[in-house]
Amino acid sequence: MVRKGCSKAVFCALAATALAACSGGEGGATRTVSADPFCQQVIPAVEAYMAASRASHPAPTDPRYGGTLVVGSIGELADGMNAAVSSDYSATQHQQFVNLMTLLDYDAAGNPRPYLAESWEIADDNRSVTFRLRRDVFWHDGEQTDARDVAFTYVTVTNPATAFPNAAFWDHYVKGAEGVEVIDDFTVRISMEPHAEFLDPFRTVAILPEHLLGDVPPGDLKQHPFGTQCPVGNGPFVFWSHTPQDRWVFEANPAFPEGLGGRPFVDRYMYRIIPEQTTLLTELLTQNIDVYLAPRPDQAQRILDDPNVELLRYPFRNYVLVGWNARRPQLTDARVRRAITMGTNRQSIVDAILQGYGTVADGSVPPFHWAYDPDAPGLAYDPEGAKALLEEAGWTDRDGDGVRENADGVPLAFSIKYNTGNQQRQDVAEIMQAQLADVGIAVQPQVVEWATLLQQINTPELRDFDGVVMGWVVEFKLDDMDLFHSDRIDQPYAWSGTRNPEIDRLLEQLALIVDRDEARARWAEYQEALIEEQPYTFFYFPDRLDGVSTRVKGVVMDARGEWLNIREWYIDPASR
Amino acid sequence: MGKYVLRRLAGAIPLVLGIATIIFFLVNLAPGDPTLLLISPGVTSDVIEQMRVNFGLDQPIHIRYVRWLGAMLTGDFGYSFVYSRPVVDLLMDALPNTLILSACALVVAFGVGIVLGTIQAVRQYSLLDSSLSVVLLFFYSMPSFWLALMLILTMSLYARNVWDLPIWFPASGMTSTDHDFMSAGARMADRARHLVLPTLSLSLVLTAGIARYMRGSMLEVVRQDFVRTAHAKGLPERVVVFKHALRNALIPIITLVGLYLPYLFSGTVFIEYVFAWPGMGRTIVDAINARDYPVIMAGTFFFASMVVVANLVADVLYAVVDPRIRYE
Repeated sequence: MVRKGCSKAVFCALAATALAACSGGEGGATRTVSADPFCQQVIPAVEAYMAASRASHPAPTDPRYGGTLVVGSIGELADGMNAAVSSDYSATQHQQFVNLMTLLDYDAAGNPRPYLAESWEIADDNRSVTFRLRRDVFWHDGEQTDARDVAFTYVTVTNPATAFPNAAFWDHYVKGAEGVEVIDDFTVRISMEPHAEFLDPFRTVAILPEHLLGDVPPGDLKQHPFGTQCPVGNGPFVFWSHTPQDRWVFEANPAFPEGLGGRPFVDRYMYRIIPEQTTLLTELLTQNIDVYLAPRPDQAQRILDDPNVELLRYPFRNYVLVGWNARRPQLTDARVRRAITMGTNRQSIVDAILQGYGTVADGSVPPFHWAYDPDAPGLAYDPEGAKALLEEAGWTDRDGDGVRENADGVPLAFSIKYNTGNQQRQDVAEIMQAQLADVGIAVQPQVVEWATLLQQINTPELRDFDGVVMGWVVEFKLDDMDLFHSDRIDQPYAWSGTRNPEIDRLLEQLALIVDRDEARARWAEYQEALIEEQPYTFFYFPDRLDGVSTRVKGVVMDARGEWLNIREWYIDPASR
Repeated sequence: MGKYVLRRLAGAIPLVLGIATIIFFLVNLAPGDPTLLLISPGVTSDVIEQMRVNFGLDQPIHIRYVRWLGAMLTGDFGYSFVYSRPVVDLLMDALPNTLILSACALVVAFGVGIVLGTIQAVRQYSLLDSSLSVVLLFFYSMPSFWLALMLILTMSLYARNVWDLPIWFPASGMTSTDHDFMSAGARMADRARHLVLPTLSLSLVLTAGIARYMRGSMLEVVRQDFVRTAHAKGLPERVVVFKHALRNALIPIITLVGLYLPYLFSGTVFIEYVFAWPGMGRTIVDAINARDYPVIMAGTFFFASMVVVANLVADVLYAVVDPRIRYE
């Protein structure tokens, strides 16, 4: 059977290769270049500059240089390297650390450090920041990266017509051309009102090439081939090819500034898209990929058991929550929402569905963050306390059916929605159903298709849910305004619809405090206010897991990202 | 015949347009909104509104329909919301990949299925017939998704890491990591190696069904008078089976070809997911999940056309193999 299939397959492949008719290469590697006129113009320029750079930078003799690194993950890099329009996590990571550069990045403690900007100065009144750029950074087609690129990027992402997704970054900045001043070729000043963590956007948003994109109308940027067909960056890796839903390939940039470590150790870096996690695990264990990003917790043991791979584990930026719709009569009273949280044994859920790879959450500040306080108050599992609180709020089992009712006879029953195909969220809803039955609350888990669910919960006129299991990924610059501030109650993410003046006041203050030590105390107060109000039952902060082959050395991963020091990863010469 | 084909094609135009129209309204009126999927907190309603303008979603649905229809008739299927690329490029990237895989699967499935079915019919009630029936039923009742995972487990993971076999097959993708650096011959072999497991998972299940059909069809034919006559005039068994019986037994199988041809294009979503094959099935299902309207529309329009064409092909093939069938 097997052999038959095999020989037939060879025949088919012959036909296939004839069909595909790839561009023929003359020795060395072959690649297919997009036929788009923009790509046809820029790719030869990149190739010429790279050939010249290779000639002027002699091949390094250190044995750590060389080899191909393969990272496997379930998802595409949506919108690719187009930093002006993308909101995809992995795509943003590639913009920051692989193909493009940001003005600054963070050290392990979360403090800004120079990257494309070699230094910066913050005005005494905190109303502007002046960046001085490195003079040795070049776009991969040979143009120098300068202040005009920064100004162009700033004007583009603050322009409403671009529809840059994370517009809240610029809430306290002076938007558009008025907000940015090119002082000389390598100095640029950006104006703002004083506010918290104002440098953070410059860690996230990569600088784009003005000489290539300057003439593109902002509304057309999203569809520009720059993003996914022929990006031209200035970072440690040069774009080589992209096969949609299959792979992205990058080459080491020989001209990457020596001051930033010079060219990366690996010759080539490949990002492979493998949507099925069982296949990803197999590919890691059979050494076809070097890194498996974010394996499921139940796959962790297989990785730990294999001597050729290791499991990295670190606190990450996401949390899972159950959002309550306080517009519903059963859920209007904060005491009921508190009782729900107290009646749920969240630690047991972390142990059961995350196999212990996570931390119970009591607020929105994740453990990696400088504002996280491990000793901050939380709501402990206390079913008796929950029952007492429900009695106090007027919910008693009046007819002996095991479910509490209020004075009007309305039963304390509601549904919790989750999206199809997400086992963890299904488990959360079902375990809550079992545990809350013990305190007299009837929960009905309900599964809804993802896009439909988003519409049901995010459309202000609909809000068609009681409870919903969701997750958020937070930025280093924490900002809960859209979630809990009562001014935003008509905006998509005001799921709970609660109004709490204390929370409003704290959120407004937190948005403006520049000093971290001062902010830390406020964040603790904010967490206390959230515990009282319980717009969400905060569930857990899952630990990020990554499977990494032992042949790859020098890997550092933490909440800043998986790719943060990819230019320093190298492949053990003995196993290349 | 030529006239008949033309008439059928002309009749297909309103059919395909009708299907496209129905799908347009179904897709656009379904709950969910593409802009909601692309955004996160910090995104103001102005940004959402701007995205809708950029996508052309701010217009009422009838205007969108007229625009879409007009553009489509000139061959412009628009840009994917998610991939920000022309939809035609996107589908044309995925189509050859799907064609390679499903063509291999169909060739293997029909080739092996016809041979096995014929053997079973000729040796009816023999030990070979019964054991083949059991094996075929085993594969027929197996979900191809599960079969795919089992093949990965045995022929990739275990073959390589546990049993240390000299032959193992890659579990995902169409090409190896160093494909770009291979010689032309090595590249072809590399592609073939990557085809083995997905082809097997797709074709094993199909083979079983086709072999059952073939066995039944062949049994019916071998009982007929003209076969008995052939035997009676002393023709060798080989000639009776292959020249007289087989040709007639193949006619119903052509119906199956007609049924499976569209499947050539639509790809098989599960297999494409498991083996990370960048094909049509994945493209369309991902588009549906993301409410990527232009891709869904272009994809379904394409499939509808293919179904119409495949049915026509099957009808024409009937006339080719069966001289009694004539189209006016």
